[in-house]
Amino acid sequence: MRTEATTVRRLRSESDVYATSNTGLESNLKTSKSSSPRVLGQCERRSPASARLVSLVACKEFSDRFRSGWVIACVLVWLGAIGLTSFLGLVQIGQIGVQGYERTVISLLNLVQYLVPLLGLLLGHDLVVSEREEGTLRLLLAGGVSRACCLMGKFLGGCFTLAVPLVLGFAIAGTVVGLSAKDNAIAPFLRLAVSGLALGILFLGLGLAVSTFCRTRVQSLVTALLLWCVAVFVFDLVALGVVVSTRSLAAAQEIEVLCDTMHVNAAADIHSAFDNVADRSAHAAPADRTSTLGWLAINPVDLFRAVNLSKQLELHVPALTILLTVALWLGGTLGLSVWKLRRTDL
Amino acid sequence: MNAYLQISGLTKRYGAITALDGVGLGVECGDVLALLGPNGAGKSTLFGCVLGLTRPTSGNILLQNHSPSDADRAGFGYVAERVALYPQRTVLENAAFFARLKGQSDGEVETQLKRVGLHDAGDRPVRQLSKGMLQRLGLAIALCGRPELLVLDEPFNGLDPVLLDTLQSILREEQARGATLLISTHTMSAVEPLATHIAILLRGRLAAFGTLEALRAEHGAEDSLEIIYHRIARRTHETEEVCA
Repeated sequence: MRTEATTVRRLRSESDVYATSNTGLESNLKTSKSSSPRVLGQCERRSPASARLVSLVACKEFSDRFRSGWVIACVLVWLGAIGLTSFLGLVQIGQIGVQGYERTVISLLNLVQYLVPLLGLLLGHDLVVSEREEGTLRLLLAGGVSRACCLMGKFLGGCFTLAVPLVLGFAIAGTVVGLSAKDNAIAPFLRLAVSGLALGILFLGLGLAVSTFCRTRVQSLVTALLLWCVAVFVFDLVALGVVVSTRSLAAAQEIEVLCDTMHVNAAADIHSAFDNVADRSAHAAPADRTSTLGWLAINPVDLFRAVNLSKQLELHVPALTILLTVALWLGGTLGLSVWKLRRTDL
Repeated sequence: MNAYLQISGLTKRYGAITALDGVGLGVECGDVLALLGPNGAGKSTLFGCVLGLTRPTSGNILLQNHSPSDADRAGFGYVAERVALYPQRTVLENAAFFARLKGQSDGEVETQLKRVGLHDAGDRPVRQLSKGMLQRLGLAIALCGRPELLVLDEPFNGLDPVLLDTLQSILREEQARGATLLISTHTMSAVEPLATHIAILLRGRLAAFGTLEALRAEHGAEDSLEIIYHRIARRTHETEEVCA
């Protein structure tokens, strides 16, 4: 009978076999010795640069989305929504038809702030988790693709997938508005398009992070939808609640600005205000309003709205605030995704 | 020690479960290591650690005396137990995508598809492939770029005799070329003629390691690998019971 301290030796061949500890207390280090070294008949191996790997993964991602009909569906949905909103955006105040760029921007604000983050999250939520569930991520990473390269490729492929319908929609709507309303002041519309695309990319990054953290596609989808609800609805109401409960008297004017800056006031209110120039003087002084923007930047949706309503609300959003928010959100979500994927056993 | 692949004190724990417990072995360039063990013994976890898919809790893996980088892993070939590819893409597209990731040309893809007998199925979507064809495609992808190290996780599962023979021939060719092969399997008769070394994993621990000749000398000169495996497994189990 053997005791716990006994090392059970199975193999005792002189050079090929080394003992093993059956207790697990000793290191089981063994080495085989090949009889003679062999020369590998390798073909010349090129070490693919990271940029090349990223572009390969990105192209594959876009190609997969295109084949699955995702891009086409997005183009159709986006074109339909943007067309209808541009044409019927003033129906709430009794007008109809295509208006100038500035009015179209006000009409499109709600559509962009609801739909674009949703598109970004829906696109990003299964970028990693689907391949993980299907098992292809193992093969991808076993082939020498670093996890950071894999994520960057997927993110860039997602960006391209998102950009195609958005840019196409904005370009067509912008052209139609310009020709129909004979409006040359395209700057507000361009700002809407660029900030809308940036908003989508930020939420795509958030979706990618969700996809990296979740174990199943269903879990990822539910988390993504919850985050969308928080960003678009819950955050604003909570923020207003905090302002009202903590600074109720001093914040009376700020609340009105916030309701416009957020989505709480309907577009019709802003259109009415747009018609009535005198209403603008009723708002608080610009310096007071800028002070509220610091915490608006926490939520990219509110920052997006503040940027596009800066003229109507006489708000000035510093470029540094915008850049910092974008950099922090993008860097944060992508960094978090890489950190998590590097710690994930596949 | 200057083994091509050196694994030392490798331990992997998933919470309270220990998948690998201080595993250490070395493989020289050109060796064919058959990794045997029951389900849940830690074979796939060990391969996952070698391929960089699983982070070891402790211990280390050295490839030619250095920690394998992503660039090194571009020189590995891997066939998973369940070959998973992009079902909506064709055979050729799948193979070309993974080959390009390794910096290989489309010509190399065609060569390897021809080698595994899939050159006529290049335009077929992967979702239409049978299990055997999928296995062959997985092998073709792994062979692209003539890898230095081939890691095959249960490659003989579910193959018909003809396919099994084809796979063995290809693996022999790879062995002759000088590639190092790590093969985990339950089909011991299939790996017996190929293996230069045998490692037996039981409950995450390395129960035996050595050449087939050495194992035979120790456990029965006339016996097949399967009988030797069962003998070692039984003895290890008995010893563990006594220790407990």
